Amino acid sequence: MIVSLNIDFIMQKILELHQLTKHYGRIKAVNNLSLEVEKGQVYGILGPNGSGKTTTLSVILGVIIPQSGTFSWFGNSNGNGGWKRKIGSLIEIPNFYPYLSTGNNLKIIARIKSVPDDDIDRVLSITNLHQRKHSAYNTLSLGMKQRLALAAVLLGDPEVMVLDEPTNGLDPGGIAEVRTIIEQEAEKGRTVILASHILAEVEKVCTHVAVLKEGELLASGKVSELIGAEQVFMISAPDAAGLEEPLVRSGIVKSIEKKGDELFLTCPPSVTAAQLNRFAFDNGVVLEKLIPVRKSLEAQFLELVK
Amino acid sequence: MRKLLTIELIKLLNYTSFKVILGLHFALFTLVVFVSSRIEITVPGFDPSNLFRFPHIWSYFAWIASWFNLLLAILIITVTGNEFSFRTFRQHVIDGLERMELLGGKVLVILLVALCGFLLVLVSGTVYGLIYTGGITASIYFGNFQIVLIYFLQAVSYMVIGLMLAVILRNTALSIIIFVLLRFPVEPILRSFFGPAVRPFFPMKVVGGLTPLPEFLSISSESSFETSGGGNALSLSEIGIVSQGLPLYLQILLAAGYTALFLVITAFILRRRNL
Repeated sequence: MIVSLNIDFIMQKILELHQLTKHYGRIKAVNNLSLEVEKGQVYGILGPNGSGKTTTLSVILGVIIPQSGTFSWFGNSNGNGGWKRKIGSLIEIPNFYPYLSTGNNLKIIARIKSVPDDDIDRVLSITNLHQRKHSAYNTLSLGMKQRLALAAVLLGDPEVMVLDEPTNGLDPGGIAEVRTIIEQEAEKGRTVILASHILAEVEKVCTHVAVLKEGELLASGKVSELIGAEQVFMISAPDAAGLEEPLVRSGIVKSIEKKGDELFLTCPPSVTAAQLNRFAFDNGVVLEKLIPVRKSLEAQFLELVK
Repeated sequence: MRKLLTIELIKLLNYTSFKVILGLHFALFTLVVFVSSRIEITVPGFDPSNLFRFPHIWSYFAWIASWFNLLLAILIITVTGNEFSFRTFRQHVIDGLERMELLGGKVLVILLVALCGFLLVLVSGTVYGLIYTGGITASIYFGNFQIVLIYFLQAVSYMVIGLMLAVILRNTALSIIIFVLLRFPVEPILRSFFGPAVRPFFPMKVVGGLTPLPEFLSISSESSFETSGGGNALSLSEIGIVSQGLPLYLQILLAAGYTALFLVITAFILRRRNL
Protein backbone atom coordinates (compact mmCIF):
# COMPACT_ATOMS: atom_id res chain seq x y z
CA MET A 1 0.00 0.00 0.00
CA ILE A 2 1.29 3.39 -0.85
CA VAL A 3 0.88 6.00 1.82
CA SER A 4 1.04 9.50 0.48
CA LEU A 5 0.90 12.62 2.49
CA ASN A 6 -0.58 15.55 0.78
CA ILE A 7 1.17 18.57 2.20
CA ASP A 8 -1.56 20.90 1.01
CA PHE A 9 -3.99 19.40 3.46
CA ILE A 10 -1.81 20.10 6.44
CA MET A 11 -2.56 23.71 7.12
CA GLN A 12 0.35 25.34 8.77
CA LYS A 13 -0.58 27.61 11.62
CA ILE A 14 1.21 30.93 11.35
CA LEU A 15 -0.28 32.69 14.33
CA GLU A 16 -2.38 31.61 17.25
CA LEU A 17 -3.86 33.90 19.88
CA HIS A 18 -5.27 32.35 22.99
CA GLN A 19 -7.53 34.36 25.29
CA LEU A 20 -5.48 37.50 25.02
CA THR A 21 -6.47 40.30 27.38
CA LYS A 22 -5.01 43.78 27.70
CA HIS A 23 -6.46 46.53 29.85
CA TYR A 24 -5.40 50.15 30.01
CA GLY A 25 -6.56 51.05 33.47
CA ARG A 26 -10.28 50.30 33.42
CA ILE A 27 -10.52 50.31 29.66
CA LYS A 28 -10.47 46.87 28.12
CA ALA A 29 -8.54 47.31 24.89
CA VAL A 30 -8.50 43.60 24.08
CA ASN A 31 -10.73 41.17 25.89
CA ASN A 32 -10.27 37.41 25.83
CA LEU A 33 -9.39 37.34 22.15
CA SER A 34 -8.60 34.06 20.42
CA LEU A 35 -7.68 33.85 16.74
CA GLU A 36 -5.89 31.58 14.33
CA VAL A 37 -4.17 32.56 11.13
CA GLU A 38 -3.01 29.90 8.69
CA LYS A 39 -0.37 29.97 6.03
CA GLY A 40 -1.32 31.76 2.85
CA GLN A 41 -4.32 33.53 4.29
CA VAL A 42 -4.84 37.22 3.83
CA TYR A 43 -6.37 37.82 7.21
CA GLY A 44 -8.26 41.01 7.85
CA ILE A 45 -8.83 42.36 11.32
CA LEU A 46 -11.75 44.66 10.97
CA GLY A 47 -13.20 47.02 13.50
CA PRO A 48 -14.01 50.64 14.15
CA ASN A 49 -11.40 52.94 15.65
CA GLY A 50 -10.65 51.95 19.23
CA SER A 51 -11.73 48.34 18.81
CA GLY A 52 -8.35 46.94 19.84
CA LYS A 53 -6.77 46.22 16.46
CA THR A 54 -3.51 48.06 17.07
CA THR A 55 -3.25 46.81 20.65
CA THR A 56 -3.67 43.24 19.42
CA LEU A 57 -0.96 43.65 16.80
CA SER A 58 1.34 45.41 19.29
CA VAL A 59 0.96 42.50 21.68
CA ILE A 60 1.77 39.83 19.10
CA LEU A 61 4.85 41.81 18.06
CA GLY A 62 6.12 42.09 21.61
CA VAL A 63 5.89 45.83 22.24
CA ILE A 64 2.89 45.68 24.56
CA ILE A 65 2.80 43.22 27.40
CA PRO A 66 -0.67 41.65 27.89
CA GLN A 67 -2.30 41.07 31.28
CA SER A 68 -3.14 37.51 30.36
CA GLY A 69 -3.36 35.10 27.47
CA THR A 70 -0.75 33.71 25.13
CA PHE A 71 0.19 33.90 21.49
CA SER A 72 2.50 31.87 19.33
CA TRP A 73 4.05 32.41 15.93
CA PHE A 74 4.85 29.52 13.58
CA GLY A 75 3.66 27.01 16.16
CA ASN A 76 6.40 27.80 18.64
CA SER A 77 5.66 29.38 21.93
CA ASN A 78 7.59 32.59 21.98
CA GLY A 79 11.00 32.45 23.38
CA ASN A 80 13.89 34.24 21.88
CA GLY A 81 14.78 33.40 18.37
CA GLY A 82 14.73 34.60 14.85
CA TRP A 83 10.98 34.32 14.34
CA LYS A 84 10.60 38.05 13.88
CA ARG A 85 12.94 37.93 10.91
CA LYS A 86 10.18 36.11 9.05
CA ILE A 87 7.69 38.87 9.80
CA GLY A 88 7.55 42.32 8.28
CA SER A 89 5.41 44.73 10.26
CA LEU A 90 3.99 48.18 9.94
CA ILE A 91 2.14 49.23 13.08
CA GLU A 92 0.27 52.55 13.03
CA ILE A 93 2.50 55.33 11.83
CA PRO A 94 5.94 54.66 10.36
CA ASN A 95 8.72 55.15 12.93
CA PHE A 96 12.03 56.30 11.49
CA TYR A 97 14.93 58.59 12.41
CA PRO A 98 13.91 61.92 10.87
CA TYR A 99 17.50 63.08 10.36
CA LEU A 100 18.69 59.88 8.68
CA SER A 101 18.40 59.24 4.97
CA THR A 102 15.92 56.75 3.59
CA GLY A 103 18.77 54.36 2.83
CA ASN A 104 20.32 54.61 6.29
CA ASN A 105 16.96 54.11 7.97
CA LEU A 106 16.49 50.92 6.01
CA LYS A 107 20.07 49.89 6.72
CA ILE A 108 19.37 49.90 10.47
CA ILE A 109 16.36 47.64 9.93
CA ALA A 110 18.35 45.41 7.58
CA ARG A 111 20.97 44.97 10.31
CA ILE A 112 18.31 44.14 12.90
CA LYS A 113 16.81 41.53 10.60
CA SER A 114 20.23 40.28 9.44
CA VAL A 115 19.31 41.02 5.85
CA PRO A 116 22.12 41.87 3.42
CA ASP A 117 22.34 45.55 2.50
CA ASP A 118 21.71 44.94 -1.22
CA ASP A 119 18.10 44.06 -0.42
CA ILE A 120 17.56 47.75 0.34
CA ASP A 121 17.69 48.66 -3.34
CA ARG A 122 15.17 45.95 -4.18
CA VAL A 123 12.56 47.18 -1.69
CA LEU A 124 13.18 50.81 -2.62
CA SER A 125 12.40 50.07 -6.25
CA ILE A 126 9.27 48.03 -5.38
CA THR A 127 7.96 51.03 -3.46
CA ASN A 128 9.20 53.46 -6.09
CA LEU A 129 11.45 55.38 -3.72
CA HIS A 130 14.74 54.69 -5.39
CA GLN A 131 15.38 58.30 -6.28
CA ARG A 132 14.94 59.30 -2.64
CA LYS A 133 17.48 56.89 -1.24
CA HIS A 134 19.71 59.72 -0.01
CA SER A 135 16.96 62.10 1.12
CA ALA A 136 16.50 62.63 4.83
CA TYR A 137 13.31 61.00 6.10
CA ASN A 138 11.83 64.32 7.26
CA THR A 139 11.92 65.68 3.70
CA LEU A 140 9.55 62.96 2.41
CA SER A 141 5.86 63.48 1.78
CA LEU A 142 3.33 61.56 3.85
CA GLY A 143 2.73 59.11 1.03
CA MET A 144 6.44 58.51 0.63
CA LYS A 145 6.83 57.93 4.36
CA GLN A 146 4.10 55.34 4.25
CA ARG A 147 5.74 53.70 1.22
CA LEU A 148 9.07 53.70 3.02
CA ALA A 149 7.39 51.91 5.91
CA LEU A 150 6.13 49.37 3.40
CA ALA A 151 9.65 49.06 2.00
CA ALA A 152 10.86 48.29 5.53
CA VAL A 153 8.15 45.63 5.82
CA LEU A 154 9.33 43.98 2.60
CA LEU A 155 12.99 43.89 3.64
CA GLY A 156 14.30 40.36 3.71
CA ASP A 157 11.29 38.96 1.86
CA PRO A 158 9.29 38.03 4.99
CA GLU A 159 6.90 35.07 5.08
CA VAL A 160 4.33 37.11 6.93
CA MET A 161 3.35 40.75 6.60
CA VAL A 162 1.58 42.46 9.48
CA LEU A 163 0.01 45.73 8.39
CA ASP A 164 -1.95 48.10 10.56
CA GLU A 165 -4.01 50.66 8.65
CA PRO A 166 -1.42 50.82 5.86
CA THR A 167 -3.42 53.35 3.86
CA ASN A 168 -4.19 55.65 6.77
CA GLY A 169 -3.92 59.32 5.88
CA LEU A 170 -3.06 58.77 2.23
CA ASP A 171 -4.70 60.44 -0.75
CA PRO A 172 -6.63 58.24 -3.22
CA GLY A 173 -3.55 57.83 -5.42
CA GLY A 174 -1.45 56.79 -2.47
CA ILE A 175 -4.13 54.39 -1.25
CA ALA A 176 -4.30 52.73 -4.66
CA GLU A 177 -0.51 52.47 -4.82
CA VAL A 178 -0.18 50.92 -1.37
CA ARG A 179 -3.06 48.55 -2.03
CA THR A 180 -1.49 47.41 -5.29
CA ILE A 181 1.76 46.62 -3.49
CA ILE A 182 -0.10 44.61 -0.84
CA GLU A 183 -2.08 42.71 -3.49
CA GLN A 184 1.06 41.91 -5.45
CA GLU A 185 2.82 40.64 -2.34
CA ALA A 186 -0.21 38.59 -1.27
CA GLU A 187 -0.29 36.96 -4.70
CA LYS A 188 3.21 35.66 -4.07
CA GLY A 189 1.72 33.40 -1.42
CA ARG A 190 2.68 35.45 1.56
CA THR A 191 0.53 35.38 4.65
CA VAL A 192 -0.83 38.86 5.33
CA ILE A 193 -2.45 40.12 8.50
CA LEU A 194 -4.18 43.38 7.76
CA ALA A 195 -5.92 45.54 10.32
CA SER A 196 -8.27 48.11 8.92
CA HIS A 197 -11.42 50.04 9.60
CA ILE A 198 -12.01 50.37 5.86
CA LEU A 199 -14.38 47.64 4.76
CA ALA A 200 -13.75 47.98 1.08
CA GLU A 201 -10.07 47.40 1.71
CA VAL A 202 -10.67 44.19 3.64
CA GLU A 203 -13.31 43.03 1.19
CA LYS A 204 -11.01 43.58 -1.77
CA VAL A 205 -7.81 42.20 -0.35
CA CYS A 206 -8.61 39.62 2.33
CA THR A 207 -9.57 35.97 2.24
CA HIS A 208 -10.46 35.78 5.92
CA VAL A 209 -11.69 38.32 8.39
CA ALA A 210 -12.18 38.79 12.10
CA VAL A 211 -14.46 41.55 13.28
CA LEU A 212 -13.62 43.27 16.54
CA LYS A 213 -15.59 45.66 18.66
CA GLU A 214 -14.40 47.08 21.98
CA GLY A 215 -11.74 44.42 22.17
CA GLU A 216 -14.05 41.49 21.64
CA LEU A 217 -14.33 39.17 18.68
CA LEU A 218 -17.75 39.52 17.07
CA ALA A 219 -17.31 37.20 14.13
CA SER A 220 -14.60 35.51 12.13
CA GLY A 221 -14.37 33.36 9.06
CA LYS A 222 -13.90 33.45 5.33
CA VAL A 223 -14.83 36.76 3.77
CA SER A 224 -16.97 34.93 1.21
CA GLU A 225 -18.85 33.08 3.96
CA LEU A 226 -19.43 36.17 6.04
CA ILE A 227 -20.77 37.94 3.02
CA GLY A 228 -22.57 34.88 1.65
CA ALA A 229 -24.31 33.89 4.87
CA GLU A 230 -27.41 35.59 3.58
CA GLN A 231 -28.47 37.08 0.33
CA VAL A 232 -30.91 39.78 -0.52
CA PHE A 233 -33.21 40.09 -3.56
CA MET A 234 -35.16 43.11 -4.54
CA ILE A 235 -38.50 42.41 -6.21
CA SER A 236 -41.27 44.61 -7.39
CA ALA A 237 -44.68 43.95 -8.92
CA PRO A 238 -48.02 45.79 -8.87
CA ASP A 239 -49.56 43.20 -6.57
CA ALA A 240 -46.42 42.15 -4.74
CA ALA A 241 -47.99 42.81 -1.33
CA GLY A 242 -49.96 39.61 -1.69
CA LEU A 243 -46.73 37.65 -1.93
CA GLU A 244 -45.38 38.61 1.47
CA GLU A 245 -47.27 36.10 3.55
CA PRO A 246 -46.77 33.02 1.34
CA LEU A 247 -43.07 33.82 0.93
CA VAL A 248 -42.43 33.89 4.64
CA ARG A 249 -44.60 30.86 5.27
CA SER A 250 -42.81 28.81 2.63
CA GLY A 251 -39.46 29.39 4.30
CA ILE A 252 -37.83 30.67 1.11
CA VAL A 253 -37.52 34.07 2.70
CA LYS A 254 -36.29 34.88 6.18
CA SER A 255 -37.41 38.46 6.36
CA ILE A 256 -38.94 41.13 4.20
CA GLU A 257 -38.30 44.82 4.20
CA LYS A 258 -40.57 47.17 2.31
CA LYS A 259 -39.25 50.29 0.66
CA GLY A 260 -41.93 52.02 -1.43
CA ASP A 261 -43.06 49.62 -4.14
CA GLU A 262 -40.03 47.46 -3.71
CA LEU A 263 -39.61 44.47 -1.43
CA PHE A 264 -36.21 43.48 -0.13
CA LEU A 265 -36.13 39.74 0.62
CA THR A 266 -33.46 38.29 2.82
CA CYS A 267 -32.99 34.64 1.90
CA PRO A 268 -30.74 31.73 2.89
CA PRO A 269 -27.75 31.32 0.53
CA SER A 270 -29.30 28.31 -1.26
CA VAL A 271 -32.19 30.30 -2.72
CA THR A 272 -31.83 31.32 -6.36
CA ALA A 273 -33.51 34.06 -8.36
CA ALA A 274 -35.17 31.46 -10.60
CA GLN A 275 -36.72 29.82 -7.54
CA LEU A 276 -38.19 33.12 -6.44
CA ASN A 277 -39.49 33.89 -9.90
CA ARG A 278 -41.20 30.51 -10.17
CA PHE A 279 -42.68 30.91 -6.67
CA ALA A 280 -44.14 34.31 -7.54
CA PHE A 281 -45.54 33.05 -10.84
CA ASP A 282 -47.08 29.99 -9.14
CA ASN A 283 -48.77 32.35 -6.71
CA GLY A 284 -50.22 34.36 -9.56
CA VAL A 285 -47.84 37.32 -9.42
CA VAL A 286 -45.75 38.38 -12.39
CA LEU A 287 -42.64 40.16 -11.25
CA GLU A 288 -41.57 43.36 -12.93
CA LYS A 289 -38.17 43.45 -11.28
CA LEU A 290 -36.05 40.73 -9.70
CA ILE A 291 -32.59 41.91 -8.77
CA PRO A 292 -30.08 40.10 -6.52
CA VAL A 293 -28.64 42.69 -4.16
CA ARG A 294 -25.19 41.83 -2.93
CA LYS A 295 -25.15 42.36 0.76
CA SER A 296 -21.87 44.09 1.31
CA LEU A 297 -19.45 43.48 4.10
CA GLU A 298 -20.27 46.99 5.15
CA ALA A 299 -23.90 46.17 5.85
CA GLN A 300 -22.83 42.99 7.54
CA PHE A 301 -20.27 44.84 9.57
CA LEU A 302 -22.65 47.56 10.65
CA GLU A 303 -25.13 44.92 11.71
CA LEU A 304 -22.48 43.17 13.74
CA VAL A 305 -21.16 46.20 15.55
CA LYS A 306 -24.62 47.61 16.28
CA MET B 1 27.46 42.78 19.65
CA ARG B 2 28.91 43.91 16.33
CA LYS B 3 25.40 44.19 14.94
CA LEU B 4 24.38 46.49 17.81
CA LEU B 5 27.51 48.58 17.42
CA THR B 6 27.03 49.14 13.69
CA ILE B 7 23.37 50.04 14.26
CA GLU B 8 24.34 52.60 16.92
CA LEU B 9 27.13 53.99 14.73
CA ILE B 10 24.73 54.59 11.82
CA LYS B 11 22.52 56.58 14.20
CA LEU B 12 25.35 58.54 15.86
CA LEU B 13 27.68 59.39 13.00
CA ASN B 14 24.85 60.99 11.06
CA TYR B 15 23.50 62.89 14.06
CA THR B 16 24.63 66.50 14.23
CA SER B 17 23.94 66.99 17.94
CA PHE B 18 26.17 64.03 18.75
CA LYS B 19 29.07 65.47 16.77
CA VAL B 20 28.53 68.96 18.21
CA ILE B 21 28.38 67.85 21.85
CA LEU B 22 31.39 65.58 21.52
CA GLY B 23 33.21 68.35 19.66
CA LEU B 24 32.34 70.83 22.43
CA HIS B 25 33.71 68.44 25.02
CA PHE B 26 36.94 68.13 23.06
CA ALA B 27 37.25 71.87 22.38
CA LEU B 28 36.46 73.02 25.94
CA PHE B 29 38.89 70.54 27.47
CA THR B 30 41.67 71.52 25.10
CA LEU B 31 41.01 75.20 25.71
CA VAL B 32 41.03 74.92 29.50
CA VAL B 33 44.21 72.88 29.45
CA PHE B 34 45.89 75.32 27.10
CA VAL B 35 44.85 78.42 29.02
CA SER B 36 45.85 76.95 32.38
CA SER B 37 49.27 76.08 30.98
CA ARG B 38 49.78 79.80 30.24
CA ILE B 39 49.02 80.99 33.75
CA GLU B 40 52.09 82.18 35.53
CA ILE B 41 52.24 82.47 39.29
CA THR B 42 55.31 84.26 40.55
CA VAL B 43 55.37 83.16 44.12
CA PRO B 44 58.78 81.90 45.25
CA GLY B 45 58.86 78.14 45.75
CA PHE B 46 55.65 77.76 43.77
CA ASP B 47 55.72 76.17 40.34
CA PRO B 48 52.33 75.47 38.74
CA SER B 49 54.02 73.80 35.77
CA ASN B 50 54.49 70.82 38.10
CA LEU B 51 50.85 70.09 37.29
CA PHE B 52 51.86 69.42 33.70
CA ARG B 53 54.59 66.96 34.57
CA PHE B 54 54.22 63.25 34.90
CA PRO B 55 52.79 61.82 37.07
CA HIS B 56 50.71 64.77 38.41
CA ILE B 57 49.41 65.64 34.98
CA TRP B 58 47.08 62.63 35.03
CA SER B 59 45.16 63.75 38.10
CA TYR B 60 45.10 67.35 36.85
CA PHE B 61 43.84 66.44 33.36
CA ALA B 62 41.37 63.85 34.63
CA TRP B 63 40.01 66.48 37.01
CA ILE B 64 39.57 69.02 34.21
CA ALA B 65 37.99 66.41 31.95
CA SER B 66 35.51 65.62 34.71
CA TRP B 67 34.17 69.19 34.54
CA PHE B 68 32.62 68.29 31.21
CA ASN B 69 31.04 64.99 32.20
CA LEU B 70 27.72 66.81 32.23
CA LEU B 71 28.02 67.15 28.44
CA LEU B 72 28.54 63.42 28.07
CA ALA B 73 25.51 62.67 30.24
CA ILE B 74 23.42 65.10 28.19
CA LEU B 75 24.63 63.32 25.07
CA ILE B 76 23.40 59.96 26.30
CA ILE B 77 20.12 61.43 27.52
CA THR B 78 19.59 62.99 24.10
CA VAL B 79 20.24 59.89 22.03
CA THR B 80 18.14 57.74 24.38
CA GLY B 81 15.34 60.31 24.52
CA ASN B 82 15.35 60.30 20.71
CA GLU B 83 14.56 56.59 20.68
CA PHE B 84 11.41 57.32 22.65
CA SER B 85 10.33 60.45 20.80
CA PHE B 86 10.95 58.88 17.37
CA ARG B 87 9.34 55.69 18.72
CA THR B 88 12.28 53.77 17.30
CA PHE B 89 12.82 51.61 20.40
CA ARG B 90 9.32 50.36 19.74
CA GLN B 91 10.09 49.88 16.06
CA HIS B 92 13.32 48.03 16.86
CA VAL B 93 11.41 45.51 18.96
CA ILE B 94 8.80 45.15 16.21
CA ASP B 95 11.62 44.53 13.73
CA GLY B 96 13.21 41.89 15.92
CA LEU B 97 15.60 43.30 18.54
CA GLU B 98 15.25 41.89 22.02
CA ARG B 99 14.50 44.45 24.70
CA MET B 100 17.83 43.75 26.35
CA GLU B 101 19.54 44.50 23.05
CA LEU B 102 18.06 48.00 23.21
CA LEU B 103 19.92 48.43 26.47
CA GLY B 104 23.01 46.72 25.07
CA GLY B 105 23.20 49.22 22.22
CA LYS B 106 23.08 52.17 24.60
CA VAL B 107 25.68 50.63 26.92
CA LEU B 108 27.96 50.29 23.88
CA VAL B 109 27.42 53.98 23.11
CA ILE B 110 28.31 54.86 26.70
CA LEU B 111 31.50 52.82 26.56
CA LEU B 112 32.37 54.36 23.20
CA VAL B 113 31.87 57.92 24.44
CA ALA B 114 33.79 57.22 27.67
CA LEU B 115 36.58 55.78 25.53
CA CYS B 116 36.68 59.05 23.55
CA GLY B 117 37.06 60.99 26.82
CA PHE B 118 39.71 58.56 28.01
CA LEU B 119 41.70 58.88 24.78
CA LEU B 120 41.39 62.67 24.93
CA VAL B 121 42.99 62.72 28.40
CA LEU B 122 45.53 60.08 27.39
CA VAL B 123 46.70 61.82 24.21
CA SER B 124 46.70 65.40 25.51
CA GLY B 125 48.28 64.25 28.80
CA THR B 126 51.04 62.46 26.93
CA VAL B 127 51.72 65.47 24.70
CA TYR B 128 51.83 68.03 27.54
CA GLY B 129 53.68 65.66 29.81
CA LEU B 130 56.37 65.05 27.23
CA ILE B 131 56.80 68.80 26.73
CA TYR B 132 57.03 69.63 30.43
CA THR B 133 58.74 66.60 31.91
CA GLY B 134 62.43 65.94 31.49
CA GLY B 135 63.83 62.43 31.82
CA ILE B 136 60.82 60.19 31.38
CA THR B 137 60.77 56.62 32.54
CA ALA B 138 57.87 54.21 32.38
CA SER B 139 57.40 54.45 36.13
CA ILE B 140 57.13 58.22 35.98
CA TYR B 141 54.79 58.04 32.97
CA PHE B 142 52.54 55.44 34.54
CA GLY B 143 52.78 56.73 38.09
CA ASN B 144 49.29 57.93 38.96
CA PHE B 145 47.96 56.75 35.58
CA GLN B 146 45.18 54.84 37.35
CA ILE B 147 43.36 58.15 37.78
CA VAL B 148 42.69 58.22 34.03
CA LEU B 149 41.10 54.79 34.26
CA ILE B 150 39.08 56.03 37.23
CA TYR B 151 37.99 58.98 35.09
CA PHE B 152 36.75 56.44 32.53
CA LEU B 153 34.65 54.79 35.24
CA GLN B 154 33.34 58.17 36.33
CA ALA B 155 32.25 59.12 32.82
CA VAL B 156 30.53 55.74 32.44
CA SER B 157 28.77 56.17 35.80
CA TYR B 158 27.43 59.63 34.95
CA MET B 159 26.21 58.45 31.59
CA VAL B 160 24.50 55.41 33.11
CA ILE B 161 22.64 57.73 35.49
CA GLY B 162 21.62 59.77 32.44
CA LEU B 163 20.50 56.63 30.60
CA MET B 164 18.42 55.50 33.54
CA LEU B 165 16.70 58.89 33.83
CA ALA B 166 15.97 58.95 30.08
CA VAL B 167 14.48 55.45 30.20
CA ILE B 168 12.37 56.24 33.26
CA LEU B 169 11.13 59.64 32.06
CA ARG B 170 11.12 59.02 28.27
CA ASN B 171 11.55 62.75 27.81
CA THR B 172 14.83 64.39 26.83
CA ALA B 173 14.34 67.87 28.27
CA LEU B 174 12.92 66.64 31.55
CA SER B 175 15.72 64.10 31.95
CA ILE B 176 18.42 66.71 31.40
CA ILE B 177 16.81 69.07 33.91
CA ILE B 178 16.45 66.32 36.51
CA PHE B 179 20.04 65.22 35.95
CA VAL B 180 21.41 68.74 36.41
CA LEU B 181 19.24 69.42 39.47
CA LEU B 182 20.15 66.08 41.00
CA ARG B 183 23.83 67.03 40.95
CA PHE B 184 23.02 70.38 42.44
CA PRO B 185 21.08 71.16 44.57
CA VAL B 186 18.78 68.14 45.03
CA GLU B 187 21.29 65.58 46.20
CA PRO B 188 23.30 68.02 48.37
CA ILE B 189 20.06 69.06 50.11
CA LEU B 190 19.07 65.45 50.60
CA ARG B 191 22.52 64.70 51.97
CA SER B 192 22.19 67.45 54.54
CA PHE B 193 19.35 65.55 56.20
CA PHE B 194 21.70 62.69 56.96
CA GLY B 195 24.57 62.40 59.36
CA PRO B 196 28.16 62.88 58.22
CA ALA B 197 28.68 59.11 58.27
CA VAL B 198 26.06 58.56 55.58
CA ARG B 199 26.65 61.64 53.42
CA PRO B 200 29.62 60.33 51.43
CA PHE B 201 27.62 57.34 50.21
CA PHE B 202 25.18 59.20 47.96
CA PRO B 203 25.60 58.29 44.26
CA MET B 204 26.39 61.75 42.84
CA LYS B 205 28.82 62.36 45.69
CA VAL B 206 30.52 59.02 45.17
CA VAL B 207 30.79 59.42 41.40
CA GLY B 208 31.83 63.06 41.61
CA GLY B 209 34.50 62.22 44.16
CA LEU B 210 36.29 59.82 41.83
CA THR B 211 38.40 62.55 40.27
CA PRO B 212 39.15 64.85 43.21
CA LEU B 213 40.64 68.28 42.98
CA PRO B 214 44.39 67.72 42.68
CA GLU B 215 46.53 68.76 45.62
CA PHE B 216 47.46 72.05 43.98
CA LEU B 217 49.41 73.38 46.92
CA SER B 218 51.55 70.35 47.55
CA ILE B 219 52.15 69.67 43.87
CA SER B 220 53.06 73.26 43.06
CA SER B 221 55.28 73.71 46.04
CA GLU B 222 57.09 70.47 45.38
CA SER B 223 60.43 70.81 43.66
CA SER B 224 60.31 69.36 40.22
CA PHE B 225 63.33 67.22 40.95
CA GLU B 226 61.80 65.48 43.91
CA THR B 227 59.47 62.54 43.67
CA SER B 228 55.91 63.08 44.67
CA GLY B 229 54.57 62.93 48.18
CA GLY B 230 57.06 65.22 49.85
CA GLY B 231 56.66 64.75 53.58
CA ASN B 232 56.22 68.36 54.62
CA ALA B 233 54.20 69.55 51.63
CA LEU B 234 50.88 71.14 52.39
CA SER B 235 47.80 69.09 51.59
CA LEU B 236 44.49 70.76 50.78
CA SER B 237 42.59 68.18 52.74
CA GLU B 238 44.96 68.39 55.67
CA ILE B 239 44.49 72.10 55.99
CA GLY B 240 40.72 71.65 55.66
CA ILE B 241 40.04 73.25 52.26
CA VAL B 242 38.76 69.94 50.88
CA SER B 243 36.82 67.66 53.15
CA GLN B 244 38.24 64.21 53.51
CA GLY B 245 36.06 61.59 51.80
CA LEU B 246 36.06 57.84 51.64
CA PRO B 247 39.18 55.93 50.73
CA LEU B 248 39.68 55.75 46.98
CA TYR B 249 39.24 52.00 46.64
CA LEU B 250 35.88 52.26 48.42
CA GLN B 251 34.82 55.13 46.16
CA ILE B 252 35.65 52.99 43.11
CA LEU B 253 33.76 49.99 44.45
CA LEU B 254 30.76 52.13 45.34
CA ALA B 255 30.72 53.88 41.97
CA ALA B 256 30.94 50.56 40.14
CA GLY B 257 28.21 49.18 42.38
CA TYR B 258 25.90 52.14 41.76
CA THR B 259 26.53 51.88 38.02
CA ALA B 260 25.62 48.20 38.05
CA LEU B 261 22.54 48.89 40.15
CA PHE B 262 21.34 51.65 37.79
CA LEU B 263 21.86 49.37 34.80
CA VAL B 264 19.79 46.66 36.49
CA ILE B 265 17.02 49.18 37.21
CA THR B 266 17.12 50.36 33.59
CA ALA B 267 16.99 46.76 32.35
CA PHE B 268 14.07 46.01 34.66
CA ILE B 269 12.09 48.99 33.40
CA LEU B 270 12.84 48.28 29.75
CA ARG B 271 11.79 44.67 30.16
CA ARG B 272 8.52 45.39 31.92
CA ARG B 273 7.14 48.46 30.24
CA ASN B 274 5.08 48.81 27.07
CA LEU B 275 7.02 50.55 24.33
